Amino acid sequence: MIAVTRRYGIAVGGVAIALGIALLAQSQAIHKLEFPLLLMVIALAVWHGGVGPGILAVVLAGLGFDFFFAEPRYTLYIEPDDRPVFVVFLAFALVIASFSARRRRIERELRQVRDELQVEVTERTQQASLLDLTHDTIFVRDMSDVITYWNRGAHEMYGWTAEEAIGQRSPQLLQTIYPVPLDEVHAELVRADRWEGELDRIRADGTRIAVSCRLALRRDERQQPVAILETSNDITPRRRREQEIRALNDDLARRTTELQATNKELEAFAYSISHDLRAPLRHTAGYAELLQRNAAASLDDKSRRYLTLILEAAKRMGNLIDDLLAFSRIGRAETRKARVSLEALVKEALAEVRPETDGRDIAWTVGTMPEVYVDRAMLRLALVNLMSNAVKFSRTRAQAKIEIGCAEAGADETAVFVRDNGVGFDMQYADKLFGVFQRLHPTEAFEGTGIGLATVQRIVHRHGGRVWAEGVVDGGATFYFTVPKSWREPKG
Amino acid sequence: MTELGRILMVEDDPNDVELTLTALAEYNLANEVVVTRDGAEALDYLYCRGSFAARVGDNPAVLLLDLKLPKVDGLQVLKQIKADDTLKLIPVVVLTSSREERDMVASYRLGVNAYVVKPVDFHEFVNAIKELGIFWAVINQPPPGSIRKGDLG
Repeated sequence: MIAVTRRYGIAVGGVAIALGIALLAQSQAIHKLEFPLLLMVIALAVWHGGVGPGILAVVLAGLGFDFFFAEPRYTLYIEPDDRPVFVVFLAFALVIASFSARRRRIERELRQVRDELQVEVTERTQQASLLDLTHDTIFVRDMSDVITYWNRGAHEMYGWTAEEAIGQRSPQLLQTIYPVPLDEVHAELVRADRWEGELDRIRADGTRIAVSCRLALRRDERQQPVAILETSNDITPRRRREQEIRALNDDLARRTTELQATNKELEAFAYSISHDLRAPLRHTAGYAELLQRNAAASLDDKSRRYLTLILEAAKRMGNLIDDLLAFSRIGRAETRKARVSLEALVKEALAEVRPETDGRDIAWTVGTMPEVYVDRAMLRLALVNLMSNAVKFSRTRAQAKIEIGCAEAGADETAVFVRDNGVGFDMQYADKLFGVFQRLHPTEAFEGTGIGLATVQRIVHRHGGRVWAEGVVDGGATFYFTVPKSWREPKG
Repeated sequence: MTELGRILMVEDDPNDVELTLTALAEYNLANEVVVTRDGAEALDYLYCRGSFAARVGDNPAVLLLDLKLPKVDGLQVLKQIKADDTLKLIPVVVLTSSREERDMVASYRLGVNAYVVKPVDFHEFVNAIKELGIFWAVINQPPPGSIRKGDLG
């Protein structure tokens, strides 16, 4: 309301003041001042007041002019000669009005643009503070590598504040080492607008840092590259882990090589035993035999017995060498695992043991057995050894009982046991059972080389299984081992 | 020992040589044997060169070959024989201490005619040698170009 009053007030007051001044001037014999003064007032009213006050000012100015200055004075009669004055008032008002309208429009547009700008500035400020919130490192540099933006993440990672960093050239500030020449990075950026890679840099405090970095190119509306946005992460810990893994791998490779060399040596050793140890043995046996044949008649009983003992010893040594070689072969040979019916395997082993049971009364019990995932030949050898042992150590029984069965040992394992009612063993020596050349009985009582159970253990271990035994002196023994039911990752 | 033996034995161990000859002597085959002490000598014999330059060029009826030999080893001798057109028809029997599977496989790959592991037990050894000698030197018809029984005159 006040604004409206003031706008119309300008029109009314302005015309009154103009008329007053003009009348005063006239009384002082200064003429023709009324016309420009009234024009000024009209212009003022239109410019500041708008259309309404403009019309009012034109009407009042016209009336005032007509009443005070146009002949005949002090009447509202208008001489035809004075009419153009009113037209001039009106035209002038229109011209000023149009100017005013244009001004207002421009003003409105300017205001609008200003408001939009303000909104954008607010938005950008918010975005910039958001970028500051992230832990990622973000900075922007122009095409001559001068840093123009530097977020808090960059400050935290590199140790330089935004004030220190902005305006610096980034390769110099950070002493960046690129994996490829910088020209190639730029070429790739211009080609694809992106580049990714791992860089080495130096922090403000002089420490090294490895970063995984992604560059993105910003172009202006004419597609000219103007800035590079870089985001990066600290990968120093990952690098360190990678180095540790590499070192571990190298170590592993070295140890594997050593192991392979050892294995090769072992193989050569076994080969040499196979060739060289057997020959003198054969000669001993051969010449003892020849001696026995040629000179037996001239020898006394004692000497003949010595010859027999030499021959027996040689034979026993031959068996030892054979068993030992077989044992070492099991350690060296590749295992060829497949799904195998344990039941069929037990049957085969039984057939193999059969000759040892001649003249014996043995009650065999064989339970139902699942399929297992094993090296067929190796597992059969293990079963033969265990069953042969059971046959041997139950020899003193009039009615021997041997039971072969299965027990669940876990989700992916089967436990197999071989039980006999033989001479058994003392549990305090249980850990000696599976050692090479370990024997719990004198050779005179039970022949053997002491390698059978060691072989069983080695076979089971090569399948990732366990082997153990339970026994009572003169109360029988039970040997257990576990084997995988299906394929699984080798342990260790 | 005649140089016209029908059995060429390649063996470096004098004890093995003596035991083998003893075993063959029981069946009157000992004088049919020529002994060479290493692979190089065996090849010299077969190619009639070196100390065997004066030999008549017929091939033995059988070659008893040890694998572990000085200078040129048994597998190399075997390889050379089986690669040579004039020698490859000679029956070769590997007679070795080795039970190693790889020796056996390598020998058969190279075309050996028999592979015999020397038994530790002397009876078995004598039997093995006897049967080898009788089979290869008497029963088996050697390929043409070999020294035949009766050639000695």
